[in-house]
Amino acid sequence: MKQLSLLNLFLIFVKTGAILLGGGYVILPIMQSEFAEKKNLVSKEDLINYFALSQSMPGIIAANMSMFIGYKLRGKRGALIAMFGIIFVPFLCIILLASLLSMFVNNTILQGTLWGVGIAVIALIFLTAREVWTNAQRTLFFYIMFLFAFISLMMFNLTPITVIIIFSVLGVAVKCIQRGLIK
Amino acid sequence: MIYFLLAYEFFKIGLFSFGGGYATIPFLYHLSQIYNWYTIPELEHMTAIAGITPGPVGINVATYAGYKTAGILGSLIATTFEVLPSFICVIIVSKLIKNYSDNFYVKSVIESLKPISCALLLSVGVNLLKTELHNVYSLILLFVLLLISRKSKKDPILYMIIAGVSGAFLKLL
Repeated sequence: MKQLSLLNLFLIFVKTGAILLGGGYVILPIMQSEFAEKKNLVSKEDLINYFALSQSMPGIIAANMSMFIGYKLRGKRGALIAMFGIIFVPFLCIILLASLLSMFVNNTILQGTLWGVGIAVIALIFLTAREVWTNAQRTLFFYIMFLFAFISLMMFNLTPITVIIIFSVLGVAVKCIQRGLIK
Repeated sequence: MIYFLLAYEFFKIGLFSFGGGYATIPFLYHLSQIYNWYTIPELEHMTAIAGITPGPVGINVATYAGYKTAGILGSLIATTFEVLPSFICVIIVSKLIKNYSDNFYVKSVIESLKPISCALLLSVGVNLLKTELHNVYSLILLFVLLLISRKSKKDPILYMIIAGVSGAFLKLL
């Protein structure tokens, strides 16, 4: 994979920031499309890891994930550029459009558009889940971890960060036991 | 002086908010109570606007709140200082992954993240879908989008445009 110039890196993140609508979880499909499918700069595997790590850290998920990608591609400067890139368009939108948009918050067409985008977000989240599922090496370890993580999210209303931390520790414990058994 | 206060308060928000954009809202409520930067109705309004403009909600609200409080420079300070703590965390974690990628424990954590991410995405999808279940149009639109995915490569922009336009169209009918 060839090195990307800082300017190009910035521009990709500006574009990503501009199309980021509908909450933190849509960041994974958007980043996969921009960085793995279109440009082949970062592997999908890495993106999935960054996605989970970003949620178990303080701060905004999308910003965290951008900085992980920036750091991976161009080190500390890359992370900084990624951060400024991802907030560039949103920043301008707020400064320039906020007062204008506030007049249209109750507008029917805008409401309809937002409702539609919300459905697209759901579709993208399901498609990404399916993709992570098909691309993963589905060992017994994967099935068990997935099942218990899903159950604890749905039944016990645990927050994502709690689930990520508990199951990472459990995962390490299971791997330790597996290693012990093989030896 | 107000700039230092803004920097300090938003640095704290960035450091202590876990779980993405909407997690910062309670902190902003608190701010509106201890300072006279903005009122609670103003904050609700800001949250609505932040949700419909592109970009992460947490960032947008910070920009807006900073702007309300101290103009453009204020918004720049609020936004930058909110992401600063995570910038430091990301650099540390990235270094750990790079330097210890062969370490057994790091490898185990990374291998665990995959099934967890999959479960997270699925649970978010299901929870979002639950709120739409009463609406037939939502289910039809979702079904159509999932059908398109079988025919073509998934492109988030295309999906959002198709769904946004059909949403606006349905409301006009």
